[in-house]
This record gives sequence, C-alpha cells and structure tokens, in this order.
Amino acid sequence: MTWWSLILILVWLGTFVAGQLFFKRAMESSGVAGFRNRQTISILSAGILLMTVSFFLNLGLLQRFDLSYLYPFQGLSVIIITLMAAVILKEKLTLRLTIGTLLITAGVVLVSMS
Amino acid sequence: MTNNRPSGFANPLFQLGLNIICVVLYELLLKAGAKATADPSTSWSWVGITGLASPLIWLAIVVMLLDLVIWLYVLKYIPLSIAFPLSRLVDVLVPISCWLILKEGISSLRWCGIVLVIIGLAIVAKPAARLEERL
Repeated sequence: MTWWSLILILVWLGTFVAGQLFFKRAMESSGVAGFRNRQTISILSAGILLMTVSFFLNLGLLQRFDLSYLYPFQGLSVIIITLMAAVILKEKLTLRLTIGTLLITAGVVLVSMS
Repeated sequence: MTNNRPSGFANPLFQLGLNIICVVLYELLLKAGAKATADPSTSWSWVGITGLASPLIWLAIVVMLLDLVIWLYVLKYIPLSIAFPLSRLVDVLVPISCWLILKEGISSLRWCGIVLVIIGLAIVAKPAARLEERL
C-alpha cells in the first residue's frame, strides 16, 4: 500500500464518519425546527456533500483493491462513529454498547482477514 | 424524539431492516460495477469517476438515494451510536448470502468473525429494544 492510497482510505473514512454525524444533527434539527428550516437544510446538504465525496473515493478504491481488503477499514468506522457520536453528539455511551461495538468491529475485521 | 411511537411500516427498527437490505444490494452492485469499469491506467481513476460508465453503478446510486431517505428516518428516532452498529448486520449478511447464493466457501476464521458480529449485534440490540419501549 502506498502513502497515497493510505491517505485516500483515511479521507474516505473521515468523510463517511463526518457525513453520518451531519445526518444525525440534521435530523435532530428537523425535529426541533422542521425540514424547511434553513439550518436543517444546510446541515443536511453538508452531510450529503461529504457522503458524495466518500462515495466516489470508495468507488475509486474498489477499482484498485478487493472488497475484502477494504472491509477492515469499513469495520473501523463502527467504533469511530460510536465514539464520535458520544463525544460530539453527546449520546450516552454505556459499557454494554461499547462492548457490543468492539465485538462487531473485531468480527468485521476477522471476516475480512480470512 | 417524538412521543407517539410509530408502528407497523413506520416502525424505525423495521425501517432499519429495510436500510440493511438496501445496503447489501448496493454494495454488491457497486463492486460489480467497479470491477467492470476498472482501468487503473487513467489518471482520474482514483476518484472513481470512471465507474459512472457502468449502468450497475447508476442502479446502485438509485438504491443508495432510496436508502438515504430510509436512513435519515431511522436517525430521527434512534441514536447514531446504536443505529450505526446495528446497520452493520450487513457485514454478516454479505458473506452469508455469497455462501448461500454463490456457493462461495467460508473459512473457519470467517465463521468466527461472523459469530463475533452476531454476538456484538445482540448486545447492542438490547438498548435499542429498550429505546423502542420508550418511543
């Protein structure tokens, strides 16, 4: 793996995680202020933009690497998103949720290694 | 979070199930489309734009857009830290559907991984179920 592909994988993951956080924020905002609200629309648009960037990077990476090679990175997104949701969105992270998330991440990595 | 709990088709957990089906579908479509259009010699191929030449990719995009609406609906009701791990049921369904439909082999290490994901999902699903009661 070259430095270039590592950077692309990180950007792909980063935009994906950020996009999910924006989506959740947008839905929170829509619950308070409605869908026509300017804030809701701009947060949602930012999320869609990030997801679009992530989508094309994923496509480019899929053309180069096997899905099984890229999968462990996707597995990492589970733990990153759960952590970020706790830190940024202030969602409650219980011990139970942490253990479950870690098991899912480990499982995804195992699935892709074999 | 709203006070009246949506049931039946509008149930957020049912919608999460629909979301998972959509993701399995578009992941397979994306891989097939990406494979069909792979041409690493062009300089722009890193950004994946050449994939748009495949009709499979366009079909995948349609499924993704549908999935986006479903996913946003799910996020309206379920915290991201619970909904996202649950959505990774995909990682179990993809290899199992390859095993059942395409008769691909699954190594013992991969079975271990699948079991780990299922246990993890069961653990995460408990708070989701409790959330359901509160909705």
